[in-house]
Amino acid sequence: MAGNFWQSSHHQQWMLDKTDLIRDRQHDLNILSDDEYQKIFNFFSSIIQVLGEQLKLRQQVIATAIVYFKRFYARNSLKCIDPLLLAPTCVFLASKVEEFGVISNSRLISTCQTVIKNKFGYAYGQQEFPYRTNHILECEFYLLENLDCCLIVYQPYRPLAGYVNDIGHDEQLMTYAWRIVNDSLRTDVSLLYPPYQIAIGALNLACVMLGKENHKSWFAELNVDLDKIQEIVRTITNMYEMWKNYDEKKEIQGLLAKMPKPKPAPQR
Amino acid sequence: MDERTLRYEKIDFLGEGQFATVYKARDVKTDNIVAVKKIKIGSRLEAQDGINRTALREIKLLQELQHVNLIGLLDVFGQKSNVSLVFDFMDTDLEIIVKDNNIVLTPANVKAYMIMTLRGLEYLHQNWILHRDLKPNNLLINREGILKIGDFGLAKAFGSPTRINTHQVVTRWYRSPELLFGARQYGTGVDMWAIGCILAELLLRVPFLPGESDLDQLTHIFQVFGTPTEEIWPGMKSLTDYVQFKQFPPQQLRHIFSAASDDLIQLLESLLAIYPPRRCDCTQALQMTYFSNKPAPTVGSKLPMPSNITRIEAEKPSLKRKLLENIDGASLAKRLQF
Repeated sequence: MAGNFWQSSHHQQWMLDKTDLIRDRQHDLNILSDDEYQKIFNFFSSIIQVLGEQLKLRQQVIATAIVYFKRFYARNSLKCIDPLLLAPTCVFLASKVEEFGVISNSRLISTCQTVIKNKFGYAYGQQEFPYRTNHILECEFYLLENLDCCLIVYQPYRPLAGYVNDIGHDEQLMTYAWRIVNDSLRTDVSLLYPPYQIAIGALNLACVMLGKENHKSWFAELNVDLDKIQEIVRTITNMYEMWKNYDEKKEIQGLLAKMPKPKPAPQR
Repeated sequence: MDERTLRYEKIDFLGEGQFATVYKARDVKTDNIVAVKKIKIGSRLEAQDGINRTALREIKLLQELQHVNLIGLLDVFGQKSNVSLVFDFMDTDLEIIVKDNNIVLTPANVKAYMIMTLRGLEYLHQNWILHRDLKPNNLLINREGILKIGDFGLAKAFGSPTRINTHQVVTRWYRSPELLFGARQYGTGVDMWAIGCILAELLLRVPFLPGESDLDQLTHIFQVFGTPTEEIWPGMKSLTDYVQFKQFPPQQLRHIFSAASDDLIQLLESLLAIYPPRRCDCTQALQMTYFSNKPAPTVGSKLPMPSNITRIEAEKPSLKRKLLENIDGASLAKRLQF
């Protein structure tokens, strides 16, 4: 829905405060370090991304699913629901909300099984995807409740397209910034900043990466809080820094083992 | 979740549609009267689909929209896989009022209903949402005389030029000619046409264009407005379901609505323009002289109510009205006897 962001539930109920966010995560952060926590979310964002791509969903739908996922755990501990169950549930709900094609539950489950086996075998070894339709359906309503029924999520893609157009059409810049927006979904920025600021942050970072000095004046003329933009840029670059020395394939099994889990664990 | 189901104390059964059952209930927490719409689980196959898509559509849109002339979604709760939506309780609707022979609708009353409907719809359109199922039965009215647009089960975001829509929306009598010709790209005009039909119905007290099939619907329309030519409606012949109609001459609306004032005829003509781009939008409609001329619209508290609704909450209220009974928007309202 392209309504009014400023009056939306996204702006009025789901722009969270950083200190609140850290406080609400305290339980998990007693068990996991901040770094480990981010790595786990990075991993599950990948699962949602790959799952969405396999199901041929548009990036907008995938992004909404990842935001649902982040919103849920902004309020709940990881032990509340296994993220491996919540991830496909977010994909399921987002695809219904965005009204782009129907994915049947059986197709969702079978895609989960293939994706976990073929693409994330390094994390789950020989284990099969343990959930069935009834788990997803039960989880769906719980997710809806925890989102306070706020289903419409504004994404940075649309404002980004507008800004690139304004700067002067540049295919390469658009591609870079678009990918940075995709990457930003793995951080907390979607919970903390409005989408237009994330779009400007991604654009700024893309300009720096591509060495496009000539757009400086465009940024200088913007009437935005540049401190916020810098915070967004820093959050994303911090993640890129982290990626440099991180081998998910080696570390993720250990992290998943350490992660707080629901009790009793579902049968595997 | 248990506390949520206990929060709403069932008072009455209001009605049942294909996809939902509606109850009148008391919100124990606030002591307000509300309408609880319980979505049916449906077949095994539907159950596999999780939360009902129509309900989800209502939830997602109403969560973002707040306007005095739109039904308010107060709460959502569930038991097992069963979703219930809690709405403002509305005592009656425009269909009941139009059909109630004991009620006299003065020009000032009609104006009041139109203003409230157009304001709610203007807000909706400003938020890029089409209602797509406007009819008297979906214009809900409470005992304070406030009209609220209800039933968002068919509502949808519009404006994306690449998006193909279905033309099987809007109850037939209120369906615009472009929808009947199978247009897949349409805009606010489909809602404006429906408003025009509703206004006409308020004046005539019977449905204005009661077609018995989609083709018969077009015949009804063309018998009044004349069969359009390619000059009046450029592009009409390239619509998917276009068929050639007999040439009917246009009639004068003032002959059909002989008691209506000139400014009202002007509004009707503007709402019911055959060529969709010529139809006015809500903002333009509200600026027409009809709304600034006398008589002034009736204030809410003076608007007529069906006789079974008392303005003061009775000890044991006898106002049983199903609200939003048909979320599929297909069946007509049935009155329930208790």
